[in-house]
Amino acid sequence: MDELLNRPIKEVIAQYPPVADILNTYNIGCVPCQVGSCLLKDIVSIHNLGESEERALFTQIIAVVYPGQKIVLPKLDRPAQKKGPLTYSPPMQTLVDEHVWIKRVLACIPSMLNTTDITTPEGKQWILDCVTFIRSYADKFHHAKEEDILFKFFDEKMDILQVMLTDHVTGRAHVAAAVSALEHHDAKGVAEHLEGYRALLTDHIRREDEVLYPWMDRNLSMKQVGQLQSLFQEAGKEMGTEVEKNAQAFVEKLEGTR
Amino acid sequence: MSACGCPGSATQDFRTDAKTEGDESGVRPSQLRQWPIQFHLVSPMAPYFQKADVLLAADCVAFALGDFHKNFLTGKSLAIACPKLDSDQAEYVEKIASLIDDAQINTLTVMIMQVPCCGGLAAIAIQGAAQAKRKIPIKKIVVSLQGEILSEEWVS
Repeated sequence: MDELLNRPIKEVIAQYPPVADILNTYNIGCVPCQVGSCLLKDIVSIHNLGESEERALFTQIIAVVYPGQKIVLPKLDRPAQKKGPLTYSPPMQTLVDEHVWIKRVLACIPSMLNTTDITTPEGKQWILDCVTFIRSYADKFHHAKEEDILFKFFDEKMDILQVMLTDHVTGRAHVAAAVSALEHHDAKGVAEHLEGYRALLTDHIRREDEVLYPWMDRNLSMKQVGQLQSLFQEAGKEMGTEVEKNAQAFVEKLEGTR
Repeated sequence: MSACGCPGSATQDFRTDAKTEGDESGVRPSQLRQWPIQFHLVSPMAPYFQKADVLLAADCVAFALGDFHKNFLTGKSLAIACPKLDSDQAEYVEKIASLIDDAQINTLTVMIMQVPCCGGLAAIAIQGAAQAKRKIPIKKIVVSLQGEILSEEWVS
């Protein structure tokens, strides 16, 4: 059982495909993840299942991996589960609020791609404005807080953080590829990479909001929450208010509400 | 018996015949690192408040919670108050603002009892924080009369 718990989830699912369906019934969506290096034991602990849910989950996985064998259920060491709707510490709430602006842009990408002619100056500018939003707000303003500040409060070698960092890198590659396609008047390439970015970030944000940030909050001391808040505030002051104002103005323009 | 029916002062007897469980071996060291602790007597300029994680606890909390020192006081600076019986509570609001802006405290944890009158302490903390220029994380923890944690929530 220890060997199974310490295996990367992608390996487990590859060898025992029904495990993916079992995880999905507990809203643990590991199948779409491109990296899949998180260990099975960490995935269960990060998702903060209740004790009875955890037992039920492992019972089903054991039945698939060790059919007909009597295996002792593992007991994972984790902080007590908090019930009720998701709430976040103030610094984490800052990141969740920033996600809202990013999600609003992501939601507009499909219609923007359908209605934008990139061969025209206006069409090209829309795409470039979108890229500016992604690079200055989503990446420099938001992701930098995660990479340069938040993740450093934890062991950055942890698989879950490595997965998130990989998503950031993949996202940057999509954006760079979209810009390159734009310069080559390759509408198909622009659409492919912006849509790729949209799909990646949508799932990435969901995992952060629903899994990673609550797990981090459970594992940060009050002192650390205060330190995080101060560091986020300093980072915000260094960036100035223009990035946020310009980003929010772009979102509203994109949505046609201005 | 309370003449006005206030739950905060209503007599309650929760003695039982059952033996209370707990580890009775060893001696726990005190986690108190300062004096005074009563909110009217402390100064935001005191060295133990500078950049500290502060615990503002209602008077009764430490008596209700068996592991107050171990689980809540460790690593924190303390002030205690009673929102029902203490006088001149406007001073408390000013002190909260001063702790945040002048002492530049890192965080504020407010611990209150479940009785309605205790809610006033959380309200004082929120008012003081609203007056301050700096924004810090503030958490409210509600304790039952039997020493259980009923809720923990961020109030800023």
